[in-house]
Amino acid sequence: MSVLGGLGLFILVAFIFLMIALALVERRWPARFRPIPAFDALGGATERAVEAGERVHFSLGTGTLLGGEAGPALAGLSTLTRVADAATMSDRPPVVTAADGALVILAQDTIRSAYRRVSAIDRYHANSGRLVGATPLAYTAGIPAVLNDEDASVHLMLGRFGAEGALVADAGQRRQAFTLGGTQDVQSQALLYATAENPLIGEDVFAGGAYLNAGLFHRGSLRTQDLVRVLMVAGVLIATLLKTLGVIP
Amino acid sequence: MKRVSTVLLAIAAGTAGMIVLLSYFLDLPYLSEASQWLKQTAVLLGAAALLVGLLNLVGVHLGKIGGQEKGWAYSALLVVMLAVTFTLGILFGIDNRSVAALFRYVQLPVESTLIALLAVSLTAAGYRLIARRAGVFNSIFMISAILFILGSIPWLILPGLAEPFGILRTWLAEVWAVGGARGLLLGVALGSITAGLRVLLAADRPYGD
Repeated sequence: MSVLGGLGLFILVAFIFLMIALALVERRWPARFRPIPAFDALGGATERAVEAGERVHFSLGTGTLLGGEAGPALAGLSTLTRVADAATMSDRPPVVTAADGALVILAQDTIRSAYRRVSAIDRYHANSGRLVGATPLAYTAGIPAVLNDEDASVHLMLGRFGAEGALVADAGQRRQAFTLGGTQDVQSQALLYATAENPLIGEDVFAGGAYLNAGLFHRGSLRTQDLVRVLMVAGVLIATLLKTLGVIP
Repeated sequence: MKRVSTVLLAIAAGTAGMIVLLSYFLDLPYLSEASQWLKQTAVLLGAAALLVGLLNLVGVHLGKIGGQEKGWAYSALLVVMLAVTFTLGILFGIDNRSVAALFRYVQLPVESTLIALLAVSLTAAGYRLIARRAGVFNSIFMISAILFILGSIPWLILPGLAEPFGILRTWLAEVWAVGGARGLLLGVALGSITAGLRVLLAADRPYGD
């Protein structure tokens, strides 16, 4: 095993240990996270949509499940679990769209599980998870039709988006829907900041589970993220100081 | 029985993920081969999932055509064009001139048009941002965006302003924007790691309960 491999393995084990330990700590000493206005407003918007008989549209982005862009889509699926749980009471279940077949199948499984949990599997419909287009722009072109046809009043975007994400968010804004958008790409985040009414910045896209009470493990993993970030920033500052003082070459 | 299948699914997903993850750290030939096989299988399954997704797409639109729902004509056009493109691709291959022409003369122009729409959409979004969500950060965002535009456009009337605005744009882009982006990327990377690990440890089960 190489030195870098050993270091990577150590960091992986430390990460897993911290996630489990902080999830256990969370039971006794729950953390207080800073407010994220987008997630604070999401619960109320979903409830209003359910009561008004309107649809929640959940976009898992234009990325695929394979490769480095899967992270935000996986985080989106865990947020979808909570949204689907809240929307199972509605006559009109949430509709989830993606540009990748595998993500569509996972979205269908997530919604089916939500219905199974409330013993209402007969109300599940396979068309709740849909492939809208197989390329980012084909997907973008199809979104306004989905929002209009399904009478969506909540438009959630959590997944991988490029520049086309601005158009997807704009489609929701033009319907005056509650539009929440988050992605991993920094430039696309800037576009979503301008176009979505409720943008998520930076790693906020991964915090949905913790903020929507998806479980102790979600809260523990968010605390792990925060702790590791503080350690990394401290490391960068110390290294900068040592380099400035000439202690390290 | 359902509980058993959930546990077995979680174990299978976690084991497959761990094999791939550990192969990046450990130089074990068997682990590397298993990881390679798993990744190739994932690509094959991804392609199969695309076909399932296409069937789902056709099913949704056939339902709209059958129910004569609003916009059913567009659905009919989509299904016909999908059938034509799919048949041509299967019969003649994707390098065929007819298939290439469909992409070059239909898909590319439509996609380029959408990208062009982005400029209009962002201008309107900028106005909305100031009109509806006025605040310190939104104002900084808009001023930065305007300074970037002023530093990038060709100054035909007052060419002397091109240089100072260009310097300002470079300073904003290379100091403030890069610094902020690095901070955001750090958070995104950590978030991606925890999202992946939650699936590996079966805390998140997107494959269903």
